[in-house]
Amino acid sequence: MASKRMTANPVKPARYRPGKPVAEDPSSDEEDESDEEQEIVTQPPPKATSFPSDARKVAANLGKVDLHNAKTQALRGEEAKNQAERVARAIADEGFVTEESEEERNSESESESDGSEESEEEESSSEDEPAPKLLRPTFIKKDQRKEGVHVAEVKDEDDRWAEEEARRKEKADSMIQEQLEKDAAARAAGKKDWDDDEVQEVEQVDDTDGLDPETERAAWKLRELRRVKREREAIELAEKEREEIERRRNLSAEERDAEDKEFLEAQKEEREGRGKMSYMQKYFHKGAFFQDDAAAEGLANRDLMGSRIADDVTNRELLPQYMQIRDMTKLGRKGRTKYKDLKSEDTGRWGEEAGRGPKRDGVDERFMPDRKGGGERSGANAAPIGERRKAPDGAPTGPSAHRPGGGDRYQPQVEDGRPSRRERSYSRTPSPSRRRRRSYSRTPPRRRDRRRSPSYSRSPSPRRERYRNDAPRRKRSRSHHDHHSSDKRQRVEAY
Amino acid sequence: MAHQADAKRMLDERGYSGPQIHDQNPAHLLEKAVRDRIVDSYYWKEQCFAINEATLCDRAVDMTFIGGTYGQQKPTPFLCLTLKLLQLMPERDIVLEYLHQDDFKYLSALAAFYVRLTFNSKDVYTTLEPMLADYRKLRRRTRDGGYALTYLDQFIDDLLTKERVCATSLRKLPPRTILEDVGQLDLRESPLGAELDDLDRDDSDGSVLEVGANGGPDSMNGHAAYSDSDRSRNST
Repeated sequence: MASKRMTANPVKPARYRPGKPVAEDPSSDEEDESDEEQEIVTQPPPKATSFPSDARKVAANLGKVDLHNAKTQALRGEEAKNQAERVARAIADEGFVTEESEEERNSESESESDGSEESEEEESSSEDEPAPKLLRPTFIKKDQRKEGVHVAEVKDEDDRWAEEEARRKEKADSMIQEQLEKDAAARAAGKKDWDDDEVQEVEQVDDTDGLDPETERAAWKLRELRRVKREREAIELAEKEREEIERRRNLSAEERDAEDKEFLEAQKEEREGRGKMSYMQKYFHKGAFFQDDAAAEGLANRDLMGSRIADDVTNRELLPQYMQIRDMTKLGRKGRTKYKDLKSEDTGRWGEEAGRGPKRDGVDERFMPDRKGGGERSGANAAPIGERRKAPDGAPTGPSAHRPGGGDRYQPQVEDGRPSRRERSYSRTPSPSRRRRRSYSRTPPRRRDRRRSPSYSRSPSPRRERYRNDAPRRKRSRSHHDHHSSDKRQRVEAY
Repeated sequence: MAHQADAKRMLDERGYSGPQIHDQNPAHLLEKAVRDRIVDSYYWKEQCFAINEATLCDRAVDMTFIGGTYGQQKPTPFLCLTLKLLQLMPERDIVLEYLHQDDFKYLSALAAFYVRLTFNSKDVYTTLEPMLADYRKLRRRTRDGGYALTYLDQFIDDLLTKERVCATSLRKLPPRTILEDVGQLDLRESPLGAELDDLDRDDSDGSVLEVGANGGPDSMNGHAAYSDSDRSRNST
């Protein structure tokens, strides 16, 4: 019967469930055993497993467990006992064989043999398969029996396993032996080195001498000649050096200078003969290390920077600003910033929209503003303002008045409609239009109307105002004051 | 000093107080990295332990290639035996015997390497130059583990000319001309000798190589004939 549980865990006794029949005592169930035993016996477990006998016994009996059957627990112990009895009987009798008892004996015998290794799949499968049909034991006459299946099997388990082990060991040993022999043979033949782990089939490089004496000798001669030639060249080089030194020593000083000059000229020409780098050309350094190799290939004096690359852009200024880079491979890569200064990188539109009001052109005339030319202030702020009242002369001035440039410089909006220069120039000095109408006193003119005396000198005494002529007094020239703003455009006075 | 089985004394970082070569610990003729690789290798541990000059020949006989390190910095047996020689510091006679014996060319190569490392400049030239006539083939293991064919005279030429051979930075050797100027050496006579003169006289191009009067091979295969005076003069 298929086990209700698929696990190999030992079965715990059934829980008490109220209302359900309780497991009864084993003593009361003895008379039922013989009947139910046969139903419960399942397919025998495999002959050899790695599980110890107890576990196997349990496992073997797992398939026979019916959790809901209260008698299961009692049966297990009884069954084992009965099987043991049967085996003992069979061994003693030696003649009496039934198919059923054969099965049982098998299951018992494998529980006896320990430690044998066979697959566990049989075991699991045995639990899953339904119990085979059990036959009633029948007596077979002696001449009709097939011998050799019964007791021998009990002993065969161990023997078979031992045999297999021995066989396997032998095979492994022989393999190792083979390998060692092969290695030794290879070494003896000289093909493999002392501890060379890789077996090389053929030593491609053959170092036997005397294969072809003439050729070898000729090769040697060639080498020897080369060596001699090398030596001679070295000697010659040294000789030349010495000669040169001697010669220069014998020249007079002027001749030496002349020669040096020549050499330097030649050098300079060479340097200038090379082309110039174009605008924003990628810089290639000729490299410090492989000079010998380069010289060997004749690349010693090539002109790196003067040469143009075929793929390169000829005129980088025609490209958009973003693409004007030295190395075009870096185009579009992250991290490439060509920051110039804040003003050029700024993308804000400062003050452009400030002066604009609502749309004034295509609008019904009823909605047109009153004044033309866009006053700076609108609405209640459009009222004309008077001049700013200043503190009278002699009044104590605050700290702001002592700041360089004269302190407070607020100037009201010009009312002639012209865009005030004040908006453009961020300098502290007043606009030149103002300047020219005034005398060049130190205090800047505050307002355009001439109610006050032009010179707002700080000296309290009024007497001095008459003789005020600061022109000869100025230590510094006045020409610096002409360009107050950074705006260097020519200023044309309206009046 | 008694023969030491292992090179522990020489490889000790704390200091060395034995006989020195070129005023330094002989093991320091090889670089530290290379030295460590050698000492960690199986060949050194197994084969180079407790050998003396005689048993070293047995190891050298099994050598099949020369080289420095290959693969993942694995040292060649050639290099391991070099370190062993540096530890043993055999006498001059023994080294020259190694060099001049004709049976095992790899042992000769080993001895040549040792000579280049340890002898003084004059002796290096006088000892190694006769070997330039020996054109036996050698197998050289390259850095990537492959093999290359080279010749003994080529190997010795590299020893005399190059700065770095077989994973070792060689001590700087003054050029021959300087030694000639000082007077310690004579001008080098190439084994080609007379043939060279003929060539110069004829002023022909080098493609025609004559197997001249001196050209017959010696009794040992691979040696060019050179004057006996050279040999007797140089083998001290």
